[in-house]
Amino acid sequence: MSVRVQPLQRGAWTRASAPSTIGMIGIGLGLVTLFLALPPVKVRTAPLPVAIGILAVAAGIWAFTRGEHRLGGGAVVSGVAGIGIALIVLQANAARLEGVFVWSALIAATLRYATPLTFAAIGGMFSERSGVVNIGLEGMMLMGAYFGAYGADVTGSWVGGLFIGLISGALLALVHAIFTITLRADQIVTGTAINFLALGVTGYLYNQHYGNNGTPENLPAVPDVNLKFLSHIPPQGLGNFLYNSIGQLNLMVWLSLLLLPVSYVALFKTPIGLRIRSVGEHPKAADTVGIPVYRTRYAAVTLSGALAALGGVFLSIGFVNSFTENMTAGRGFIALAALIFGGWRPFGAFAAALLFGFSSALAARLPDLSASDTAAWPLLFQTLPYVLTLIAVAGVIGRSIPPAAIGRPYVKQ
Amino acid sequence: MSGLSGEPPDMTGQTPEVSEPTPESKVPSVAARLALWQRSGGVITPILTALIAFLIGGLVVFATTGKNPLNTYKAIFKGTGLSWLSPVSIHWHLFYPAGIHWTGWDTTSPTALNLQQTLIVVTPLILTGLAVAFAFRCGLFNIGGNGQYTVGALVAVQFGVWFAGLPGPLHVIVAMVAATLAGAVWGGIAGVLKAATGAHEVITTIMLNWIALWVGSYLVGFNGPLQDPRAISAPVTRPIADSAHLHVFWGNPLLQGLHVGFFIAIAMLFVYWILLNRTTLGYEVRAVGFNAEAARYGGISVGRNFFLAMAISGAFAGLAGSIDILGWEFNLDLTVVQTVQVGFIGIAVALLGRNSAIGIFFSALLFGALLTGTSTRNLDPSVFQPELAGNLTRIIQGLVVLFVGADLLIIYLWQARKKLRLPQRKAAEQP
Amino acid sequence: MADERPVLELRGITKQFPGVLANDNVDFDLRRGEVHALLGENGAGKSTLMNILYGLYQPDEGQILVKGEPVRFHSPKDAINRGIGMVHQHFMLIPVMTVAENIVLANEPTRAGLLLDTNAADRRVRELSRSFNFAIDPEARVEEITVGQQQRVEILKALYRHADILILDEPTAVLTPQESNELFEILRTLTREGMSVIFITHKLNEVLEIADRITVVRRGKRIDTVDRQGATEEGLARMMVGREVLLRVEKPVSDPGDPVLTVDDLHVFDDRGLEAVRGVSIEVRGGEIVGIAGVDGNGQTELIDAITGLRKAASGRVAIGGRNVTGATPSRILDSGLGHIPEDRQRRGLVLEFSLAENVALHDYDKAPGSRWGWLFPRQLIRRARELLTQFDVRGGGPQTRASALSGGNQQKVVLAREIGREPSVLIAAQPTRGLDVGAIEFVHRRLVEARANGKGVLLVSLELDEIISLSDRTLVLYEGEIVAQHGPDVTEDQLGIEMTGAGSKEAAA
Repeated sequence: MSVRVQPLQRGAWTRASAPSTIGMIGIGLGLVTLFLALPPVKVRTAPLPVAIGILAVAAGIWAFTRGEHRLGGGAVVSGVAGIGIALIVLQANAARLEGVFVWSALIAATLRYATPLTFAAIGGMFSERSGVVNIGLEGMMLMGAYFGAYGADVTGSWVGGLFIGLISGALLALVHAIFTITLRADQIVTGTAINFLALGVTGYLYNQHYGNNGTPENLPAVPDVNLKFLSHIPPQGLGNFLYNSIGQLNLMVWLSLLLLPVSYVALFKTPIGLRIRSVGEHPKAADTVGIPVYRTRYAAVTLSGALAALGGVFLSIGFVNSFTENMTAGRGFIALAALIFGGWRPFGAFAAALLFGFSSALAARLPDLSASDTAAWPLLFQTLPYVLTLIAVAGVIGRSIPPAAIGRPYVKQ
Repeated sequence: MSGLSGEPPDMTGQTPEVSEPTPESKVPSVAARLALWQRSGGVITPILTALIAFLIGGLVVFATTGKNPLNTYKAIFKGTGLSWLSPVSIHWHLFYPAGIHWTGWDTTSPTALNLQQTLIVVTPLILTGLAVAFAFRCGLFNIGGNGQYTVGALVAVQFGVWFAGLPGPLHVIVAMVAATLAGAVWGGIAGVLKAATGAHEVITTIMLNWIALWVGSYLVGFNGPLQDPRAISAPVTRPIADSAHLHVFWGNPLLQGLHVGFFIAIAMLFVYWILLNRTTLGYEVRAVGFNAEAARYGGISVGRNFFLAMAISGAFAGLAGSIDILGWEFNLDLTVVQTVQVGFIGIAVALLGRNSAIGIFFSALLFGALLTGTSTRNLDPSVFQPELAGNLTRIIQGLVVLFVGADLLIIYLWQARKKLRLPQRKAAEQP
Repeated sequence: MADERPVLELRGITKQFPGVLANDNVDFDLRRGEVHALLGENGAGKSTLMNILYGLYQPDEGQILVKGEPVRFHSPKDAINRGIGMVHQHFMLIPVMTVAENIVLANEPTRAGLLLDTNAADRRVRELSRSFNFAIDPEARVEEITVGQQQRVEILKALYRHADILILDEPTAVLTPQESNELFEILRTLTREGMSVIFITHKLNEVLEIADRITVVRRGKRIDTVDRQGATEEGLARMMVGREVLLRVEKPVSDPGDPVLTVDDLHVFDDRGLEAVRGVSIEVRGGEIVGIAGVDGNGQTELIDAITGLRKAASGRVAIGGRNVTGATPSRILDSGLGHIPEDRQRRGLVLEFSLAENVALHDYDKAPGSRWGWLFPRQLIRRARELLTQFDVRGGGPQTRASALSGGNQQKVVLAREIGREPSVLIAAQPTRGLDVGAIEFVHRRLVEARANGKGVLLVSLELDEIISLSDRTLVLYEGEIVAQHGPDVTEDQLGIEMTGAGSKEAAA
């Protein structure tokens, strides 16, 4: 039996209570640093945010040296990031700052960027909870993105695109299932192959069908849900804020939010979920009580492909309304990181997806801070989601517990 | 123990009967899997794997374009220049040769130029293949070849621009060493993260790829610090000094002849083999790759080896980046930074070559030929569209990785072949 | 008294694995209400037979009859449907799930046909557990309860599925003698209620205590079936092994020299951050074997890890041959004169994909003559390996054979060759005979005694009490991370068994 790490021992908690409190305060201070420099507060001098940021770093170091590595490290990172962003923001002029940090728009953009990650992460959750690592999420998303656009084009309706995209992802996932479950191939190597295949297949078909012209401009798109009534909620400011942040979101954004409770109930509150988890934790135990291990894994992996493909469908016909080669740009891997970061749970994964989504939204808007339109450095903001993922993966693994049988093919005697 | 003949058979490891090994030990690492695979199929299985991949690729061509895939492949092969190696050309009439012509080795023929192109492309593929293979031997999956290559190329181009006064060979060495170190650092980051926190190298190397891509885009892109101030309208760096150019030993330097970087790559195949099999470092890396737990019990520091393996892997990829810059690109432009693929193809190269030096050479040759043969320059668009062919290469590459990963499929096929023979033999023995 | 009609019959079962005939025309029958022991060595084919009966393997030949009716089992589900339940040696329980979830898995009570009815599951498990006098909390997570309780959860799993035939595979391997007695009580209760039990074991004393009939298997063949009345340990042992067995190891009186290993007030935390070793002090002198007895999971692994440098000790001191090595790296500790035969040879002792020569070099690959300045000289490794392999009588391959090609016994000999061959002053042997057959066990024991005769100190950690008793000059009992008792060579299994459960008074520790 493998050694299991319990998330929080009560003993460990009480023993480390002072450092952990200080660590949390440090993280809080880091966030305050950030908050002070941004609208609506907008402190326009450096000393105050820098002082508070240093305080956060100090608290972090104090907690870190007393054994609270995770919270302490978090406080240091948040303090440094807070100071850094505050200083960058101070360079920008106030008007541009207002333009970039429109919170309602940032919230809407965060949700939009988080949606494909959420679909893929939830998909990955089913696959990994059943014990199959799914590095191929990226490729399955890409399939969804292409076939979503293609399907919408051919059938003339976004519903058709959605279904064709979904099926294409499921089919690719089925390939992953055949190779990893029946043929017991290495799950990570196979996932990598899946990504190459998807890149090649979508690139090939895209070039053949659309070539240099790109996908048609009038692709049927998944509609937005216009909640006009939100803007009438008094007071006016709140109403507008609500309307601008969540009043005009795409249908698939809402779909991804709906997916969260549904997948939570399915995984943790139904017999099917219990069986999926049992297969991922201890397939032989599941086998000895008569649960078909292979069939369960096949179903879970195929479902994961379908869900990841929905994320891709959203990208192509819900978000940018076109397809370009390799348009997923590593989102499948970020979704995987979100899944791990979220402890293989739907809401945890969603919280992580929001974090990554926020960083993408920020990366897309921060270049506007620059006074000159030709400056090159705003391009560096593009690395933000990837750097964040790197930090998250490095900071959290070893803390969250993967399903015990993950990555291991099951050999049925 | 002389009475051992009376010892009952100990079946540990042969049947699931005795003290079942712990679940972890049941799953071989990729390194162990490849070793197993190598024993079970000889040299035939990788050839079989490649054939299956090409077969399916051919079906894709036929299904989507209705064209005869054989003609497509023939056209691709023609562009590779590999036929130059054979001094005779044979014209086939259906299945029998209708005529044989002595062509000789004309070093200025278009075929020779094509072959030079192919070998230029093979050079970095050998190195990125090694970058993946070396990490594999330590049980790590380095998908970060692209990023490590990019970082190497960026450093090489800048060092090639600087130090313009240095004597030729020294300048080349300085630029190469710097690029190799940069690649090592980029790979080493993933190694350190793995060793210190357990962060999975697949995710971290992919993220490092994207970070390298965007940092590179910033550096060489419009108004970036490395962009050539004289070429304001193009996102490209300044060209490297002439002293940093690699010597071209075959073909015309003005027509991208074959440079000595090819021999550096070949030499690295030997370095790879010696490093693994004749040094204590290689011993440690292999021990960790096969069984990290046992290595740890044997006193080997697993984390240190994770770092070293990733750093050395990154060094190979970084070197690849510098050789491309110093050998034929001479500057770095934005499209190259954003569309680099050699790191990914290195995965297929390493897997198909089963981590062995000789195997990597041949699979690099295969993929290099495929890349050259499908390039816009070498493929006749009337036969097959190069854009499609480029993606066809990716599909074939994906299929190769897919089938190589499925050792069981290959073993099944291998055994099925034996089983097919067995009944025949049995039937023959029956009176 | 047991009913004569067999509830279960196996006829002529044959099962072939690649290279091994695991079951060779085996017959077996089980009567209603009896405990029928299946006795045999490790690797004799007991578990294979039972896995066939449970539908996990398909027999190549032979027939299974349940209550007189021929059946074919394609999966455990078929066996379960016929009233067969199995308690596996390695529990088929999911540690992170609750007791109730584990028990109802695949037969879950539901609400509205769709949702899991946790309350109903808890209630049913509680009722079931109460009716058999098991004190088990259905809501507890399996990883939180004791091993003995986990075993009862396994039995409940079978009972929940209405099993009337229960197979127990080496059920006492993980239990203390006291827990074993409790298990026997449970089995007697079950058979009184009409259940039939197949009890798989290799322990003779247990067979004589609990079984009504005994079937002995050896090398895949059924040797004989006998009644408990009239059976003796010696007779059964002869049938099991096929020849006379030396039940005790011959060794001269110990003549301890200077201390070679000193452990002083060692405190170690486990992976979960709990204190697993709490102030252990041990002294091993040259020329003596010190045994550490204890139930698995009482800090043995953490103790050895801390001594060998694989895990950092929180406090305390470790010295080898008088030199302080606390906090040193594993390779420095190995170099200062420590040999370590790790717990699991396939996982920790050997690199199975390496050749024997490379395996033998696992500690000394970076020293002359095997290597110099980072260069490796494979020929030197092979030469060194050839010497040691002959010396330790490793069969089945030469220096260039892969370790995975050897049998378990020979693999362990390779580990011994490496660890003893480098002439350490102190040797740590952790479960050195686990999973080995009698011949190999004898070999290992002889080599350990030989090392002792050569003036080495041996620290033996084992879960097998008879091994501890027959080899050790002194025995320490480890319970919950503390040494709770210390004995000379004359200690009984019962005494150790009581102390291993923490029942022994701490004053006994001198």
